Amino acid sequence: MENDCDKVLVIPCSGIGKVHGLISRESAYLVTDELAPGETDVVCLALLVKEDEETRAEVQAHPCITIDGCGKACAQKNVEIAGAKVAEAFQVARFLSSHRGAQPGSGSELTEEGWAISREIAEAVAAEAARLRAGEEVA
Amino acid sequence: MSAEMNKATKVGIISCSGEEIPEGTISRSAVRRVLESLRPHDAVTLCLPLFLAGNEGERNFARTHPTITIDGCDKQCARWGTEKHGGPVARALVVSEILGTEAAGCSRSLRGRGQADETAVAAVADRIAAEVDALMSEGVKPQMAEDPEADVCACMKPAPTGSVCVRGKQVEINALPMVFAKLASDGMRAEDSNASALLETVKMFHYIAPEDESDYRDALLAAYQAFVGG
Repeated sequence: MENDCDKVLVIPCSGIGKVHGLISRESAYLVTDELAPGETDVVCLALLVKEDEETRAEVQAHPCITIDGCGKACAQKNVEIAGAKVAEAFQVARFLSSHRGAQPGSGSELTEEGWAISREIAEAVAAEAARLRAGEEVA
Repeated sequence: MSAEMNKATKVGIISCSGEEIPEGTISRSAVRRVLESLRPHDAVTLCLPLFLAGNEGERNFARTHPTITIDGCDKQCARWGTEKHGGPVARALVVSEILGTEAAGCSRSLRGRGQADETAVAAVADRIAAEVDALMSEGVKPQMAEDPEADVCACMKPAPTGSVCVRGKQVEINALPMVFAKLASDGMRAEDSNASALLETVKMFHYIAPEDESDYRDALLAAYQAFVGG
């Protein structure tokens, strides 16, 4: 990540057990690959678990947005443990709660509904990233 | 001794799921395939980040299961994190070593998935399944006795439910004890000024129609007061 002082880091939990984790992961890719390429980036959450110094420095130097699947909030907690500030913490479960009866898929595949919910989350994350890049105060 | 008696209980598999590279997606997808299709009765998993974010039971995962880590690259974050926070692993696999240059045409996102991804995931999943079989037949035993309530990934099993009385009717709410415990540990007092925050947190796990929110707010506050003893 050279010359990217303004980049916002998007860090999903990628939880492996349920669809929530996959939605978090694909939402992050929608942001970094499609909605805000060049302005956002993902980092491996596993590198923070490994206490990788370069990654710790990266999250400390950039605004971070986390996307967690469940209430364990692994992405948010690991970023905070790494000494970084989470500018905004999104939870997939909160978005799913407004889609009563939705069948978003599984931990392996997303349905059309699952992709639509991922995009909804991604758009919220991208909007927050734009706000952070514009220098607005962290909520 | 019979073959059945020699068998390990279940093998734990921990994927790095690294988000930066396609090999991380392959590691995650391959583990999912092993759990869903190839060895559904012989393997369980845990989210790697839970070693830091979770509780002692979750950190004991590698002590209560013979464990295979599957990493995308040679940084081996899953192996490192598991061994530091959980205990020694039985096998440590690396996607880039299994596939060599075959992962070059693969995608990070499932949106870009093609034949190369399918081939890569199948190859890695088959390798993991073979290692599961080997560990099961070797009868490798975990260091600690299994605690089914503590060491299975939280997202692999339903959260305990709780119930509240709404308009005279008991309503089951997913994860309610966990929500109450978290809010109590955060210091939330059981008072009217916190009722809306309590409602919003519960709505993350349970759909509440807008017209029912007022009744739920009262019911949840009463239940939370009982929970914290105030």
